[in-house]
Amino acid sequence: MKKNLLLLRVYLLAGAFTFSGGMAMLPVIERELCNKYGLIDKESLYEYTTLSQTFPGVIALTNACFVGKKINGTIGMIFAGIGAILPAYILMSIASLLYQLIPQQGPILSALVAVRATSASFLFAAAYTIAKYNLKTKINILLSFFCFAFTALNLIGAPILILLSALIGVCIVHIRKDRK
Amino acid sequence: MIVKIMLTFLKIGFWGFGGGYAMLSLIFEEAAKFGMTIDEFADLNALDVLIPGPIAINSATYVGQLYGGFLGALVATFAVSVPSLIFVPLFMRYEEKINSSRYLNAALTSVKAASVGLIFGVALSIMLATTFNISHLFDWQHINFDWLSFMMMAAAFVLHTRYEISPIVLTLLAGIVGWIAYFI
Repeated sequence: MKKNLLLLRVYLLAGAFTFSGGMAMLPVIERELCNKYGLIDKESLYEYTTLSQTFPGVIALTNACFVGKKINGTIGMIFAGIGAILPAYILMSIASLLYQLIPQQGPILSALVAVRATSASFLFAAAYTIAKYNLKTKINILLSFFCFAFTALNLIGAPILILLSALIGVCIVHIRKDRK
Repeated sequence: MIVKIMLTFLKIGFWGFGGGYAMLSLIFEEAAKFGMTIDEFADLNALDVLIPGPIAINSATYVGQLYGGFLGALVATFAVSVPSLIFVPLFMRYEEKINSSRYLNAALTSVKAASVGLIFGVALSIMLATTFNISHLFDWQHINFDWLSFMMMAAAFVLHTRYEISPIVLTLLAGIVGWIAYFI
């Protein structure tokens, strides 16, 4: 039980103070669980982090579940998982409620309009960062371009594009394997 | 409505490879079915920047709250978390078999590439809606160019990518500038 409460506390702490996505949680987790309490070694933590990205779903939560499960079985997984999502859930609920309550007119609307414009630029920046690390072959560049074109023109929905891309990736590896 | 919200976010969770930003394009499409406007989606992105935590959790809570109140937020957040709770125990049990699959890795690399295009698409939609006030790429007749939004967007992009200024600071600054601009 002590381990469970520790997991809950560490993930609550990490979740409450890390902004812009779940990956920012990692340094806090490393400091607390690896260095301070020695519950898991750094290699395992980073192995789980890489692994989490290959599963569908919320990456930070998957990572927390892996670490919790490794440290204290299924019950540890649940405590770590709750810790990872609770701060985001509570704070976002409050923020959404306030957002619904504020009247969208006058200076508030003007402020929101300006804020909305910046949100486009952060998405462009995020796409650019992912592109920098992942678009290394011509096929991948083409793939991302087609996905962009199809969504921009409203031709094919995102779920189908994701599925098709996965199939294309599998086919390419399959063909290459036959050639060897 | 609650059941619909749950099914939607289960779908987003299981379909959502590649993390929060990749999931945003799914959320953008699915939330539009609930009647979410591009403005509301842009506000969600701003809140994602301001509120700590994983983007997918923040987004699920927001969409759930808007269309199903307290219960909607709870159900959406839980639904989007379900894949993690299923895949982690499964993987721990069958570790070796999954680890050696090169097909899975190939699929993931392609999905990552696809997500770049999808995020650009979402970003373009928000840009069109905020700076040109149109909802579709070829809606040229109704363009209503908004200088303030365009300047805000360009400034935020440069300050964020070039000078690495935190999005939180930039979002708050944009709000203040927009507020002041109303009185000028």
